[in-house]
Amino acid sequence: MPATRLWLLLLPAILTMVLVGVIPLFIVFEYSFYDIFTLDSRVWVGGHWYVDLLTSARFYESFLRSLTFSLVVLGLQFPLGICIALMIPREGPFRTSTLILLALPLVVPWNMIPIIWLSLVDIDTGMIGIALNRMNLTFDYKFNAIHTWALIVAMDTWHWIGLVAILAYSGLASISPSHYQAASIDQASRWQVFRWIQFPAMRNVLLMALLLRFMDSLMIYTEAFGINAGGPAAATAFLTLDLGEEMRGFDYGPAAARSMIYFVMTLFVVWVFLRSSAAQRRHD
Amino acid sequence: MILAARRLAAALSFMALALFILLPFFQVVQLSITSTLGTDEAQLGSFTLMNYRNIFASPALTASLINSVTYVTLNVALTLLVALPAAYAFSRHAFRGRRAFFITLLAFRVTPPVVLSLPVFILFSQLNLINTPVGIALVHCVFNVPIAIWILESFISAVPRQYDEAATLDGYSTVGFFMKYLIPVIAPGIGVAAFFCFVFSWVEVVFARTLTVTDGKPITMAISNLFGFQTDVGLVMAMTVFSLLPGLAMIYFVRNHIAKGFVVRS
Repeated sequence: MPATRLWLLLLPAILTMVLVGVIPLFIVFEYSFYDIFTLDSRVWVGGHWYVDLLTSARFYESFLRSLTFSLVVLGLQFPLGICIALMIPREGPFRTSTLILLALPLVVPWNMIPIIWLSLVDIDTGMIGIALNRMNLTFDYKFNAIHTWALIVAMDTWHWIGLVAILAYSGLASISPSHYQAASIDQASRWQVFRWIQFPAMRNVLLMALLLRFMDSLMIYTEAFGINAGGPAAATAFLTLDLGEEMRGFDYGPAAARSMIYFVMTLFVVWVFLRSSAAQRRHD
Repeated sequence: MILAARRLAAALSFMALALFILLPFFQVVQLSITSTLGTDEAQLGSFTLMNYRNIFASPALTASLINSVTYVTLNVALTLLVALPAAYAFSRHAFRGRRAFFITLLAFRVTPPVVLSLPVFILFSQLNLINTPVGIALVHCVFNVPIAIWILESFISAVPRQYDEAATLDGYSTVGFFMKYLIPVIAPGIGVAAFFCFVFSWVEVVFARTLTVTDGKPITMAISNLFGFQTDVGLVMAMTVFSLLPGLAMIYFVRNHIAKGFVVRS
């Protein structure tokens, strides 16, 4: 195929991504060096916002908090999602109904998710809230940090377990039945089947799922904010909270510098994931 | 004996999973048919369909439903239009810069919307794309085009190359080849890509909120705006039920192909 035709095929996608991705990124980059009062009156401040942010304890605290959150939800959702995928039958109506069930939480608008979960634990009208109250258990997500965390982790798991399970299952679905037959002729144990047949088939999709889930949980915003607005006492103040606050306060300069730093973090994570998947492929 | 025990364990775990996933939905439906503020017509806590009637009594709420459907549909059409040729190029060619292009796509896919919402707002203000469904449909391409390219590429790669060559020998142009040959064979892939684009655009909140200041509010914002001094939770939940319907319909359409979209070549 001639090079012109190749580039013509790629051009619409490139132009779209430039308009909605690359140009906005350049705008943030420029703004991050200014103190902006209104969009017409601004003062050059150089790397001031970057120095400010990278030397503030608050930034590192929220980073650690977000990282902890990511590790907790990934540690929960991946083993659970893989187990669910392994239990889905390979064909039949039960397969389809399980997949539909798993996809349900994915179609709920993100700002509705905290609203739904808050209504579930409501002490007067929520099913979980009423049940806990009957058992004389107090669930105080507003002022007890552990309870807030538990609620957000449960909510996030509910929201995303389906994605992990569906992706893991799509890997499993690519295994041809002859592999299983060969394994049973060799009298392979359940563990051996998992280790040498099922896990390798899932590895690539799981790596992609890991990247999507890691970034989404690290940068969780709408859902976590909706539960307790970062509280109690900043116990759930994740990375994106301050960014959202700066934008609400029209602090465009610091918000732009913060956006750039988060974008660089994103690039770094993507790079690490691609390197490890390439290393894995060479290893095979 | 062991087999029966195993079946029982499997059935119990499936029921636990179903309960965990469905419980929040039961709660939504239950509250949506409950009078949560109490009126003369329906006492506090009693069964009522008033919440659903109230949706249609409010022009702001019905307009928001139409706005959301409009920008999501536009976004899916636009995404497929630009992603399909790119996915084809990706699948069939090892070109220079392929890897860099792939990293960039992936990076934009996972960049949180809150990071880009400020500059997109500034840029779109200058282009007169604020308060219109077109603006939201465009900006949602930033995460949907990468995911669509990824899904479509895996489907196109499953089609043997000889197939393309046969079409070329038949004298088809590129556009003709796409319309007559490629699209029919990868139809399930287009369905799955459309499903994920639809869903990701439908559930997104940050861009949709930033880009609608006075007009063109999406359903998600219309629901947020219902919160106030005395919130009618029943009405909120009735709207939430409506916000779930398009997604449920989409799941139903692609139910048999949903897991096939991600079988990436290893």
